[in-house]
Amino acid sequence: MKRTIVGFVVSALVLASLALWALKGRISGNTQEILMAGIVLVLVGFAVFLGVSRVRSRLRREPAEDELSRNVMTRASSFSYYISIYLWLFIMYISDKTSLKAHSLVGAGILGMAVVFLLCWLGVKAFGMKNE
Amino acid sequence: MNNRIKELRARHDLSQLELARLVGVRRETIVFLEKGKYNPSLRLAHDIAKYFGQPIEEVFLFDDEAGKKPSGEAAGQ
Repeated sequence: MKRTIVGFVVSALVLASLALWALKGRISGNTQEILMAGIVLVLVGFAVFLGVSRVRSRLRREPAEDELSRNVMTRASSFSYYISIYLWLFIMYISDKTSLKAHSLVGAGILGMAVVFLLCWLGVKAFGMKNE
Repeated sequence: MNNRIKELRARHDLSQLELARLVGVRRETIVFLEKGKYNPSLRLAHDIAKYFGQPIEEVFLFDDEAGKKPSGEAAGQ
């Protein structure tokens, strides 16, 4: 239950930061910033979905986590780590070909890693894991 | 690997949620097992087989030919 609470707290903090960012007028409305804010919202949605499914499992008197959910997380993490290496290589390649500042590239890389993890998690869930 | 969980569950008049609770996993794990999308750990396979009062090999059926490469291919021919 502690992990679920931590997940909800982190999601709330991210949402609060995003709201503060928008209220301070840092989101000027260009496509890049709206895209980044959208990606953050999708990732927060994913975290909330995981938290809610854990709470629902508890309410149904099931374990919040079992061997399948742990294995899916492990498999998704290993895939996303592998793909993220190529993502960072790509970012290094484009870093001197674009006018984006270093902190924007790093931010894009971190968001990209989170998106890659989300896609890997969805992929492992969709295709299953038979270990054969 | 195939399994007879769905058939045995129906025979014992159990829902997926009830079986999940009995063997200590989430309902989703039973769904994945029945769809053949997940091969369980030895511990879980043992617990499910024990609950149904059957040997593991009667619940989880290994397709011997499916997982094997032809011997010539394995040896690099």
